[in-house]
Amino acid sequence: MKHGLGIKIIIDGDCEAPLVLLDRYIGFFGEVDPVKGIVKPENIHIGGKALVFKGSRGSTVGSYIIYALKYYGHRPACFIVKEAEPILISGCVLADIPLFITRDYDYLVQLVSSIRNGVVRHVRGEEYVEIKEL
Amino acid sequence: MYLTREQEKMLNGEYGWAVAKALELIVKVGEYLGADKLVPIMHAHVSGISYKNIGEPGLLFIKELFRGGGIARVYTTINPGCVDLMGSSRIISNELLGKQILVNEYLEKMSMKPTYTCIPYLHRPPAPLERLAWGESNAVIIANSFYGAMTNREGGPIALAAALTGYIYHAGLQVMDNRVVEKEMVLDQSIGEELYGALGLWIGENITGIPLIRKHRLSIYDAKIVLAASAASGSHGLIVLENITPQNTYRISDKVEKISVDVKDLRKYRGTPPSVGEEVLFYIGCPHLHPSEFMFIYKYLEKQEHVNKYDFLLTIPRIYAEIFSREIEVLRRKGVDIAIGTCPVVSVLSKKYDKVVTNSGKAAFYFKKIHGIEPYITSLKKIVEMIIS
Repeated sequence: MKHGLGIKIIIDGDCEAPLVLLDRYIGFFGEVDPVKGIVKPENIHIGGKALVFKGSRGSTVGSYIIYALKYYGHRPACFIVKEAEPILISGCVLADIPLFITRDYDYLVQLVSSIRNGVVRHVRGEEYVEIKEL
Repeated sequence: MYLTREQEKMLNGEYGWAVAKALELIVKVGEYLGADKLVPIMHAHVSGISYKNIGEPGLLFIKELFRGGGIARVYTTINPGCVDLMGSSRIISNELLGKQILVNEYLEKMSMKPTYTCIPYLHRPPAPLERLAWGESNAVIIANSFYGAMTNREGGPIALAAALTGYIYHAGLQVMDNRVVEKEMVLDQSIGEELYGALGLWIGENITGIPLIRKHRLSIYDAKIVLAASAASGSHGLIVLENITPQNTYRISDKVEKISVDVKDLRKYRGTPPSVGEEVLFYIGCPHLHPSEFMFIYKYLEKQEHVNKYDFLLTIPRIYAEIFSREIEVLRRKGVDIAIGTCPVVSVLSKKYDKVVTNSGKAAFYFKKIHGIEPYITSLKKIVEMIIS
């Protein structure tokens, strides 16, 4: 079953990738290991994934950590967030990661939690993402 | 967002990869912040260059920009790195010297000035209403509040991007409509020099929006301490100082909320004096010492035979290695630890301390946060008196 979800595009790009949900804010500096491509402490690998999270927090060094994910071969396929801010946007520009703000974060979290092996698809220019269960 | 033909060309890669990436960064962040256009800047100040903070990812990106043809298109100064550039400090570790030198080399090859200081206005004081793109929160708040210039608190990558393009987004404090005072603070007249660091920390934590400080006796040196602390514990970029902030660089709202600050409000921010048996560091130079502050300390200590009873650290801009070489040598021989082009906020310490005694609220804030060392705040003069007592 497919679900269409409205988004606001901050950085556009095509994306088709497995969904990963982290229902919290992420401080990229300190919480993400760019060499391994994982988010601590959950130990979740985010390389090649469509990561859904609330947004970013903390040091401006966070932008460089997002860039390093790409450099070390663990670039996430896209970020879908509740809210953006300059550190996250800068990092996504540096790493060429599409960044979208969901129009209904709570619904998205509920949807992602209720399906197993969800996949996100977005085509450049479209104001929505498609979510389907594999 | 409206872009000129030149900016369109930059974005399309006609000026090389580094410029295209840099402008994309500014446009995307600007669009998110609601900017209608980009504006040219006169001076960029690049923060976020300490290898201790940015690590390998930051070094990699700076290297990529250089390799992608990046070069500063406007006058650009550089913040302190994580090592003492003269290599003689016993308190600030030089373990990351090789990596920091690499960062420095790439920045300098991109035509940025090797200033390595957090007080870039020392090298080029901005004019009222001049547009800047400065990183480093203490420099930003001095630029807006003391010089009446216009800059937001930019993160490291954005300030770097502004240096390579010469533009910044027209939003936030670049827009006069956002430079509006909504709060008025009246200071208790008994708040003296020893409490300025604590006062800044209190403002940062308790006041939002743009306040105006009335009826004060703050000199530029005092303002530097108050403003730096408020920009560290809070997110202030502009605090209007009556009779100091140039007129017509801000507006005052019709509805201004009055707030009074009492000495007793500041106590908890000041910390407690060192006790017997504690390992203590005495520290002055956050933000970096102004030439007259440096000379004040020099004159005071010149007459002393030795100043080695306690660890006493001064941090200063790189340029002082040239202009104050004799004074630095004299103070070093007496036992003063002088670190150049760096500071404890962005570096690794070689020694462990129980307490730091400083005149800086900003240093107090970060010593606790980064190094886990409890601070005690007092005045510059008191610290100099304490170390020779």
